[in-house]
Amino acid sequence: MFYRENGQFKTSYRADQQIFGITQDRAGVLLLIAFAFLGVPFLADEYMFRAILVPFLILSLAALGVNILVGYCGQISLGSGAFMAVGAYAAFNFFVRVDGMPVVLALLLGGVFSTLVGMFFGIPSLRVKGLYLAVATLAAQFFCDWAFLRIKWFTNDSASGTASVADLQVLGFAITTPLAKYLFCLCFLVAFGFLAKNLVRGAIGREWMAIRDMDVAAAVIGIRPMYAKLSAFAVSSFIVGVAGGLWAFVYLGSWEPAAFSVDRSFQLLFMVILGGMGSVMGSFFGAAFIVVLPIAINQFLPILGHMFGFTVDTAALTHTEFIVFGALIVWFLIVEPHGLARLWSVGKQKMRIWPFPH
Amino acid sequence: MTIRKLTLAIALVGGAFSALVPSASFAQAKEQFFPALPYRSGAYAPNGVPWANGFVDYMKLINARDGGVNGVKLTYEECDTAYATDRGVECYERLKGKANGAIFQPLSTGITFALTEKVGADKNSLITAGLGRSESSDGGVFKWNFPLMGTYWSGADILMQHITAKEGGNMKGKKIALVYHDSPYGKEPIILLQERAKIQGFDLTLLPVTAPGIEQKATWLQIRQTALTMCCFGAGA
Repeated sequence: MFYRENGQFKTSYRADQQIFGITQDRAGVLLLIAFAFLGVPFLADEYMFRAILVPFLILSLAALGVNILVGYCGQISLGSGAFMAVGAYAAFNFFVRVDGMPVVLALLLGGVFSTLVGMFFGIPSLRVKGLYLAVATLAAQFFCDWAFLRIKWFTNDSASGTASVADLQVLGFAITTPLAKYLFCLCFLVAFGFLAKNLVRGAIGREWMAIRDMDVAAAVIGIRPMYAKLSAFAVSSFIVGVAGGLWAFVYLGSWEPAAFSVDRSFQLLFMVILGGMGSVMGSFFGAAFIVVLPIAINQFLPILGHMFGFTVDTAALTHTEFIVFGALIVWFLIVEPHGLARLWSVGKQKMRIWPFPH
Repeated sequence: MTIRKLTLAIALVGGAFSALVPSASFAQAKEQFFPALPYRSGAYAPNGVPWANGFVDYMKLINARDGGVNGVKLTYEECDTAYATDRGVECYERLKGKANGAIFQPLSTGITFALTEKVGADKNSLITAGLGRSESSDGGVFKWNFPLMGTYWSGADILMQHITAKEGGNMKGKKIALVYHDSPYGKEPIILLQERAKIQGFDLTLLPVTAPGIEQKATWLQIRQTALTMCCFGAGA
């Protein structure tokens, strides 16, 4: 009743091709973006910005990149942490070595280098598939861990091998306050979100999905597997690389290779699987689930313990966090194997036929 | 299933968040709040737990025996970092609002690096006891970092002075090995030892142990094969 496309006639090709075809969708997305830019700054406090919103935005961007590769093109990758690291360290080198390098340009150049590395490590995807590819991309992870820890040039010959940046500025605005960091990341996320949404519904996105669904059939109808797979690796690692740069520059400020360890790769893969493979919206749900839930459990359990009159030990708290989090992942995978994005689309379908049940 | 269960889930999550709000209780007057960032879980928990217990026990002792410091009760709250940098940053953000000018002791060089700039902006003190950034020995570099009991450099220097004294003051041609954790903080003492090796004329062998440092068999075989004068341990190794 409230949400249906009936009666919304398209009278031009332009109107037919727009990103959000349904008026309610368009309004919803615009409202959400407006709320993120104008509403959230007044509602969130410093802790919310620095500990929850900024990591959430950056990891959603990374999950979006991984989703393009894993969800849309069906190439399982465990090298996402490495591509984040390449983006971060390349951006760092541009930022430190080139005088007067703007932050945004450095981050984008980091993404470009991440693209090259991603395409290089994507080459095995032309031969191996599925779990074997996952193992092959794991090589990227270990190689990058090794390289950034031991090759001193990458960290600008810093004595300890830790890279750090300070005094980030964009067009004269310092990115030091939590609000500025939030808005900076949000701009990136919105831009890349629209880019990804547009790509996956265009010709190239359809090629990726064809390769994902059945690569032999896709090749038969004239889709070049090499082009499709490598372009997915390229786009995905570009976005992941920019996210890595943001994670290093904006969230951590100073980092070591452990910030992009294999755990990060798994975390990103879980975000995509839980959020919904092959769904832009799913990347955001997955990132929210993985970033916010452990913190929420960690903060909520002591209060729960307090209500029943016992103090929860700090170590027990962390372990319970893992147990509950793991149990929730299993529960979600059983109840909704298509991820949180599926719940979203079920909700939309219900809205469409409301007030009727079927 | 779905709608009913979904509503239930949303209600639960909503309840959880509304319950979070009153938790932000601020320290009362006559109390000094100490945020604690120990690592009671994760790969390094075996040496993190005793430290964390000692810290908490000492706070309790001061409160119970002396009634606090000059009548000011000590309060604390722990936030487990698991020795991970991103968790440490979240813990810092969570605890820093609970008291003004709080003293943070992150117990991890990675977290120290990530917090150094933030504590300057927030005007909180960062204590790094025997760890942290070597350049913070010069108080002008980072105004809010306090390297109590030295840094990796001073630690390595004290060791070398001790070894030199034991060897009768002459280190020429002697063999020293450093078994170090192969990570940025594990590598901190290397530069100092290399300079010392140049000045004193001893041979320095560097033996990395891959993180998290549990697999050390090959390293120890190597140590047994080379006739060493002395062997130093780096952080975490």
